[in-house]
Amino acid sequence: MLSTETLYLLYLSTGFTVGFGHCIGMCGPIVVAFSLNLKEKNILFPQLLYHLGRITTYTLLGGVVAAAGSFTMVAAHLERLQKGVMVFAGALIVLMGLAMAGWLPIGRIFRNHSSPGRWISKGFGRLLKVKSTIVYLPLGLLLGLLPCGPVYTALLGSARAGMEMHSVYHGTLAGMGLMGAFGMGTAPALFLVARLAGVGWLKSRAIIYKAGAVLMIVAGLIFIVRAVRFYGM
Amino acid sequence: MKHLLSMSVVFLSAAFLTAVPGYISAGDKYQEMINCNLHQGACTQNLSGSMITLAVTPRPVRAMQDLLFQVTFSGKLPPNAKLPYIDLGMPGMKMGPNRVKLKSAGNVTYEGRGVIVKCPSGRRTWRATVTVPDFGEADFIFDVIY
Repeated sequence: MLSTETLYLLYLSTGFTVGFGHCIGMCGPIVVAFSLNLKEKNILFPQLLYHLGRITTYTLLGGVVAAAGSFTMVAAHLERLQKGVMVFAGALIVLMGLAMAGWLPIGRIFRNHSSPGRWISKGFGRLLKVKSTIVYLPLGLLLGLLPCGPVYTALLGSARAGMEMHSVYHGTLAGMGLMGAFGMGTAPALFLVARLAGVGWLKSRAIIYKAGAVLMIVAGLIFIVRAVRFYGM
Repeated sequence: MKHLLSMSVVFLSAAFLTAVPGYISAGDKYQEMINCNLHQGACTQNLSGSMITLAVTPRPVRAMQDLLFQVTFSGKLPPNAKLPYIDLGMPGMKMGPNRVKLKSAGNVTYEGRGVIVKCPSGRRTWRATVTVPDFGEADFIFDVIY
């Protein structure tokens, strides 16, 4: 059995490799959407908050599967929630794209609702108008639940590593540490994508900005379609 | 009117693009690499003059469930051959390390437990690489059920 330090390094490097090879395709649209939506604002702090939230979720999931001693049992319980998160992510990206392109009158739609869903529309409106940067932290926490093959594989390994520890407590800590390392490894690739999407020339050219909005709408719809196909109706 | 036209173009393009993945997966090039149908039974490959058989249960083989992997050898193996192991992955996509450790379950049979995870891309073609250290490896490429 590999030493704990070696395992952490392995998970960190796996996250790094997978980040450039896989995460860019899956989570790239999300970080691009956030980056473009931030317009003239600094993207670094919001991206840091988003990744902090995402890595926190991975860490907690690592602890749960290690404590449970079973990846499949935990995954089965999470399935419905993950479908919802994937649909939410897709809808969010679509709405962001529509708002960015000026095709969605944010103020009119998400203002002064007296319906029971007022807090939802208020939250969406706040996010789409980027009133608060701190919102990227809960977004990261939530979107860390997005279904992802490499995350599943890392959780599987965390469950196994946890079971090999001499106590549930140490196993839980090991699972959390490994998933935290994996999550940190995935961050550089996504930071780079967000940075590239946030370059001045992209934001300053209206037509390119609009093209970015269109791509976001398409990416968001693909998320929703995949959620339905992946989990069924 | 201009906005309506722009939005119509966007949504028609989006509808087309979301339908494309279905066409692409239908002609998935990785399907052509499949050399094994584990849903129907064990599969056998040649490994440096020996025959190596892989069986996975329960059948049909589904993702996201605990699976039992059994590897059986027939023919010559080095006398001090180390324990074989199985690496699970998807052809053409990095999923991270997923190794099934095998233990001896008899003379020439080894078994271990593992999980094939689900990929949100919808691709269902997986590869199990059975490795006998210092001897060789054999690839089994198959479809799983999601």
